[in-house]
Formats: sequence, structure tokens, C-alpha cells
Amino acid sequence: MEKRIGEHPILGKPQKGKLVTFTFDGAAAQGYEGEPISAALAAAGVSVHRYTAKAHKPRGIFCAIGRCTDCVMVVDGEVNVRACVTPLRAGMDVKTQRGVSAV
Amino acid sequence: MKRYDLIVVGAGPAGLSAAIEGAKRGLKTVIFDENEKPGGQLFKQIHKFFGSKEHRAKIRGFKIGEELLAEAAGLGVEVVLNAAVIGLYQEKEVVVRIGEAVRHYKGDAVIVATGATENAVYFEGWDLPGVIGAGAAQTMMNLHGVRPGEKVLMLGAGNVGLVVSFQLLQAGCEVVAVADAASAVGGYGVHAAKVARTGVSFYLSHTIIKAEGGDRVNAVTIAEVDERFQFIPGTEKRFEVDTVCLAVGLSPMCQLLKMAGCRVLEIPAKGGQVPLVGTRGETSADGIFAAGDVSGIEEASSAMIEGRIAGIAAAEYLGYAVNAELEAAIAENEAALSELRQGMFAPGRRGDMVEFTDEGIHVSVSLLKKGYVNDEEIARFTSASETPGFRPIIECTQNIPCNPCRDVCPRNCIKVESITALPRLNEYNACSGCGLCVASCPGQAIFLVNGDVGGGFANVTLPYEFLPLPKEGDRGVALGRDGQVVCEAWVSKAQISSAFDKTNLLTIKVPAEMAGKARFFKSKGAV
Amino acid sequence: MGAVERILEREFVPADDDGVVVCRCEEITKGEIRRAVHDGIFTMTEMRRYLRAGMGLCQGQTCAKNVKALMARELGVPPLELEHATARSPMRPVEMYVLANEEVAD
Repeated sequence: MEKRIGEHPILGKPQKGKLVTFTFDGAAAQGYEGEPISAALAAAGVSVHRYTAKAHKPRGIFCAIGRCTDCVMVVDGEVNVRACVTPLRAGMDVKTQRGVSAV
Repeated sequence: MKRYDLIVVGAGPAGLSAAIEGAKRGLKTVIFDENEKPGGQLFKQIHKFFGSKEHRAKIRGFKIGEELLAEAAGLGVEVVLNAAVIGLYQEKEVVVRIGEAVRHYKGDAVIVATGATENAVYFEGWDLPGVIGAGAAQTMMNLHGVRPGEKVLMLGAGNVGLVVSFQLLQAGCEVVAVADAASAVGGYGVHAAKVARTGVSFYLSHTIIKAEGGDRVNAVTIAEVDERFQFIPGTEKRFEVDTVCLAVGLSPMCQLLKMAGCRVLEIPAKGGQVPLVGTRGETSADGIFAAGDVSGIEEASSAMIEGRIAGIAAAEYLGYAVNAELEAAIAENEAALSELRQGMFAPGRRGDMVEFTDEGIHVSVSLLKKGYVNDEEIARFTSASETPGFRPIIECTQNIPCNPCRDVCPRNCIKVESITALPRLNEYNACSGCGLCVASCPGQAIFLVNGDVGGGFANVTLPYEFLPLPKEGDRGVALGRDGQVVCEAWVSKAQISSAFDKTNLLTIKVPAEMAGKARFFKSKGAV
Repeated sequence: MGAVERILEREFVPADDDGVVVCRCEEITKGEIRRAVHDGIFTMTEMRRYLRAGMGLCQGQTCAKNVKALMARELGVPPLELEHATARSPMRPVEMYVLANEEVAD
């Protein structure tokens, strides 16, 4: 199923920025400029944002509004970036976070 | 240190309303909000609000958000976004993180409207990707246009769980079930009914035992619980899903007020720890006010009025308001607020098992247990008509403060005597079949029935907020209140109108004896 | 001797779901929290220091209510009797370099 809503019965067609390319774990990916990184990843079918430090368990979006900090990723080399409230920009380097690093 | 007459924390419904009232009276006002966009949760609320005209009833939440923002901008309110207030001190010093710096501000009055945070429940596998808060689902689909998943189980049959379930359906997701550990639906019955009639099953007295999956949830198991909320072995039900939504209540976010030294109390009926506030939102700390969910979980409609009252009170505190004007403005808002706090869902009655409506009608047990009023019970609330032509059938069975149906009817066919009274038909006035009541009912609980359109058929007009909108001539099936197929049906009309505000009206032709049962339509494609 | 003190005399009874994570950020399980109560941790503030439950990135925004209820149940007291953890600045996670970057004039 297509993850993006083409037309919504109440909201119409989603208003989006321009389509841009970024990298996710080294591979090229696409999303709309200005939408949260997590939205672009969800639309691309990515659920895992990080693996936890102790038990190495996968985590993804939980609150989607920047509170729970479960969706943190490594963005442009910086760890613990909340993907759900960080707007996507062209050329961003987004990596799955492992513990508190990208490796 | 920059000074303002009024600093508002939080640009949601309460904060914006507070800032508007302050700015209107000449206060130099700023709002800080940690989010990238203002409006709080309003822009995710795509349903029509309940209430009356004064509460902006029948207007969708996101439209109200747009109106508030425009009003605030027109009054010169400064709204600073991406600005997280990280500290509030007794002397009304506000510390804000903006970009890569920490800045200090001083407000002569401060209104804290930080809202609430979602509660969570833990169970095996609740930390798997795909297990998300109901608010997260709302954010993803309504703000960012991305479906949170394909098959969803909703935990929570309060208003948030019910409203988000409906929104998931509108976004094209499948909702496999709504479960709640409580023994009865906690949210408005009409919200449950519009979900149930599409075929979603309700499991009350059920909770999640575990979620399974690898890199994402792929199944969830629920089981029945006894009255002590212990699960009953042997009652497990497993669903294959890719998403589990948690809608298990909200807690006020009052930490800033606590930090500032305001007295807080733990009041379970208000959702947890709340500041001790007077009728005008004043806390125990001089010049610090609270408004909206931070002082007790309620609907956004109430938050807006609390915000207005706190804004006016702050103006008075600073000596900006002329007394007579202030008293009148506060009285008007207090009256509007007290209207919203009436009925079966009034804050004081939270958790009560209500057995009878104010009219003395036995409430629908099926509605509370299964999410829909069954065919036998509905007869207590509506009556069949012998007169030919259109007739509104109003399946509004709980005392909720709401009356748009009465206000929109051009022929005064509908009476709502007190704001929480169940609507009644004025039998002397003939319905024209315009459908405005159907489209304006925030609970989507009104149907138009024309009992005889010839050949043994009847027409039923129902509210329809899904895509694609079936077309005239489409063949399909009619579903009952319980979401089960009751008969074959044909679309005789599909109406879109700006007056209906996206609640399209679908008129289906069904065998006349099914007119009292057919409440939803599923298309089988055009003939 | 109050209910709270008596806990020290009661033995910790393992439960099937002790392995379930309660504090997501610091990955603290139900069993660890229950056991900590038997170790003499009776307040939320102590629990934060002892196990770091509620001390992670989200600062307890997700788990605080659940940790509180769990501790209260273990102690055999109503949750209302347990104090919340102290509310103090910064209310949101702030990097040290940002905290150090105070802009006084505006």
C-alpha cells in the first residue's frame, strides 16, 4: 500500500515542499523538503530509527512530536537528533543510530 | 533581558486565545512554543467540534486553528516558534531555548498553556516500531500526509481513541479493532457509532497482552480482563497488524508551574498533577496563570475559553482592563464554559456509570459495550413516521452539550431545549430534505429517511467523509449500526456542497423495511 | 512501622512480565524497578538517581506515571501518596554548548 495519502477526504491533497534527495544509511532516498525526516522515512517504508544501547532493540516513531525522543537518529554526523521534529533538507545524511553512535 | 507585559507559554488553543484577549486590551504579548508550527493539537483535529455557535461548533479543529492564528497576528501578538521554555522562575522570569542559544525574558504576567502529554501503557513488545501513540498517528496522517500503517489496532475507547480510529479510516487505513480495559466506551457514543458502523469491532474489558514482531510489530494479542483488570486466560485474541495505537489518556504538563513554585495538586479526575487555580486561571503564584489542559484535561473548546478568561484576567492583573468591560467579558466566557461542562461527560461526572439520559431514557448498553446502539434500543430514541416524505432520524442518544442541528435547520424542524438535551423533532414543521442537519452534526448521528420512494424502496441519506465518494448508480451493500451487511443498496444521489463542509451526503436506496437499519454504504463499484 | 517500611521485610516475588521495559530511554524493566523498591528506594527522585528510570533523553515524560504506579503498587500505597520527581530546569533536553550560550541582551 502507498504510504502517502494522495488525497484526503477532509484535508485534500497534502501541501508539500519540493521533492529532494537525501541519504539514508548511505543509500539515496527521497522526501519532501521541510517535512520531518521521520515522515520521509515512514513514506519510504522505514520503521527502525535506531537500536538501543543496552539490548540493541529496534525503536521507531512513538510520539511523533518530539517528546519521547525514541526516534533519534544520526543526522549529518550529530547523534540524538529527533527525526520527528527535524525538517528534511536536500542532501541530508541520515543514519540509523546504534546506541549513541552511528556504528 | 527583554520584557513583555504578557508571556504565554504554548501556542495551542488555550495559549492563542489567552494571547488574543491580552493583546486586545493593549498588552505587549509574546507566545513561545517549542514546535515548528503553532496551533498545538488543533491542526490535527479534522473533525467538527461539538457545542453551540459560541463554541465554534460544527467548525473543524484545524479551521479554528487558522482563525485563531489570524486573529492573533492581526492584534500584533508575537509568536516565537522552535522556542522551548526550559525554565520558569517565581519572579516570572522565562528561560527559553531558541536555536543554539538560551535567552531570558521577563513577563509582568505569565500564562502557562503547555497542554498535556499522552499517557503510555507497557506490555511485552510495546517498544517495537509500529507501536505508537494515537497522537503520533494523528500527526503523521493529518499533518504530514503519511499513513502510520495499513492495519491498526487501537487501544483506548475514549474520545481520542475513537476520533483517531475514525481518522485512520478516513486516511485509508484498516482498523482491525478498538480495545479498552474499561468495561464501557469512555468517549462520546456518537464517535464510537461512526467507527462501529463501518465494520470495526469493539472489545471492551480487553487489554493488550503482547505485541510481536522483529523490526516492526506484526501481530498483537488482546485478552479479556476481570473487574480487577487481571487478564482471563483462554480469552486471548490475536490480530495481524503493522500498527498498534495507544490512546490511554492524557496527563497535564504542569512541570513549569511546579518549578515556578505554584501549588499543584494531584487530582485523578483532571488527569494527574494540576496547578491549584482560581476561576480565572490564577495560580498560587502572583501574576502566573494557567489555562487549558495543563490545569485539567478537557476538550479544546473548553481550553479556548479558559485561555480567553486567563487572558482577560492577566489584563486586569496588570491594570489594563476597564472593570465593567472585564466583568462582562469574563461573565460571557464563564457562561460559555459552564455550558460545555454540562451533560453526561461533564468533568465532574467523569467515570460515572450513567444509566438514564436527562430525559429519563435508559441509555444504550450496546453502545457502551460494542460501540453501537442496537436495533432494539434505537427505538427508545427515534420513532418511525407514518407521514410521507423526508424525515430526519436523529440517533443522538447521550446528553452532550451540542446544538448545531437545531441552528442549521431552515424550517425549525429540530428542537434542542437545553444545550445538553437530546434533539427532538418538531412534528408540525415539514422537513425539506436539505440535509444541513446531517452534514452539521459533529457526531454524524443524523440520517434523512424517505420511507417510500416507490416500488417498496426507501431512501436513506447518510453523512459520508471518505474517498472515493460513491457515484449515483453505484451498487453496493448497506451496513447496519453494527457494521454488518443488512441488504443490497444503490446510490441514488451523492451531494457535495460548501455548506456541508466536506461532510458529503450519500443517499442510498434500500428495501423500505431496511430504512431503519441501513446506516453506512460500501460500494461494489458502479453497475 | 508504616506500609512503606514494611516492604523491606517482604521478599521480592518475581513475575512473568518483569522483563518488560518501562522506561524506554534508559531501558529499565519492570523487574528492576520492583526490585529497587525492595532495595529501599521509596521515592521517584531516588529512583531516578538509583536506576536512571526517567533520567534519559525524554526526562521521564513517557514513563513517569507508569513508574509511579508501579512503585506505589509494590509499596502497597495509593499512587497519590507518592511524590512526583522534582520539576527543574531545563524542562527539555538541551545540549551543554547551548546551555553555555546565554544571550543576555536582546
